[in-house]
Amino acid sequence: MTGPWNADIREFVLAFADDEHLMGQQHTEWIGVAPFLEEDLAFSSIGQDELGHAATLYAIVAGEGDPNREGGIDDRRLDALAFDPDPSRWRSAHLVEATTDDWAHALVRHWLYDTAEQLRWELVAESTLEPLAGAAARAEREEWFHRRHADGLLDVLLPAPGAGDRLRAALTDLLPLAVGLFDPVAGEVQAVASGVTIAPFDSRMPEWADRVRARFDGDLSSIDLSPSDRATPTGRTTRSNAFGPLLSRMREVLDLDPAAIW
Amino acid sequence: MTSIPTVEAVRAAVATVDDPEYPGISIVDLGLLESVEVRPDGDVVVGLVPTFSGCPALAMIAEDVHAAVAAVGGVTGPRVDIRWLSGPVWTVERLTGTARRTMAEEFTVAVRIGAGPVPCPRCGGDTAEESMFGPSRCRAVHVCHSCTEVVEVMRA
Repeated sequence: MTGPWNADIREFVLAFADDEHLMGQQHTEWIGVAPFLEEDLAFSSIGQDELGHAATLYAIVAGEGDPNREGGIDDRRLDALAFDPDPSRWRSAHLVEATTDDWAHALVRHWLYDTAEQLRWELVAESTLEPLAGAAARAEREEWFHRRHADGLLDVLLPAPGAGDRLRAALTDLLPLAVGLFDPVAGEVQAVASGVTIAPFDSRMPEWADRVRARFDGDLSSIDLSPSDRATPTGRTTRSNAFGPLLSRMREVLDLDPAAIW
Repeated sequence: MTSIPTVEAVRAAVATVDDPEYPGISIVDLGLLESVEVRPDGDVVVGLVPTFSGCPALAMIAEDVHAAVAAVGGVTGPRVDIRWLSGPVWTVERLTGTARRTMAEEFTVAVRIGAGPVPCPRCGGDTAEESMFGPSRCRAVHVCHSCTEVVEVMRA
């Protein structure tokens, strides 16, 4: 036994996997078109990590709690979880569905997401679902330098006149989507009850909001950042307009020949 | 009928597999091999730890390990299960001295252990980080102050 597993825990882990998957995909789309070579490499490496986390989480789901279950897991099971679900079955946050060709948006999203992601992994670091705790330990070793990357750029760019304005404009656009990361997902209550996670994700939202304020040092009063009275959570059951085109891009090669074996 | 393989024989077979990014360096010297289990029926379970969760070489390494271990039992071969374990976490401390020497000598790759400047594998001088992100996920780019050589540094 590797820990508790049932349909609720499955939903809980899938929502995390979907976020990591789409965030990784979005980062990879900057390869070759980032403002300079080092950023091509940075977004490539960071995207690779997020996709790796997604694969780890999908493997936990495919193995019904045990990614190393007897007999192993067929890669096609992972692909099915990652690419095949109907849009209504995805549990991604709208923040990671949004597509942008503005690098300021990409950078601010990278910071907002990774700051929240750190808190999210912390909640499952002592998970009763052992492979999830293992994934958290590995993820934290990988995530610190994502944050160092984003912070390093923001340290330089936020005080710069033109760049700072663009970054703050991006923040204004993205914050309403970013708070959706904390929307309670199906299965979270049960995940807390069984010790798969120690607390609901939105219990860490005030800490995240403090970090956002400290980082951007701006007036965020127009943005609803209190978990108790923000807009009605959607439970992530609806997809944004950006999702359809994103999924098509992700499935582009797959759809060339659905029967192909890779 | 073949006799069941020994754990030692399986470990030796795994040690013949090189990392695709470092031809000449065994994945055992890289610290990827965590466990070998040989069951009474001859089935073999090999537990590996990935350097990073998103390492694109994982599938290739698993295939290579599978092929190497399947050859141990002779013509019929044991049933082999290759598992990427969720723990422990790989760190650079798992690299053997052999791996570090070959990295330094053949690939001009240094290994970061702890804080402080990373010594240049060519001249021993101090290097400084040029970019956190290098040619692959696990390596940063440094430059040596003494010999001005570009040095890749495997990160902790």
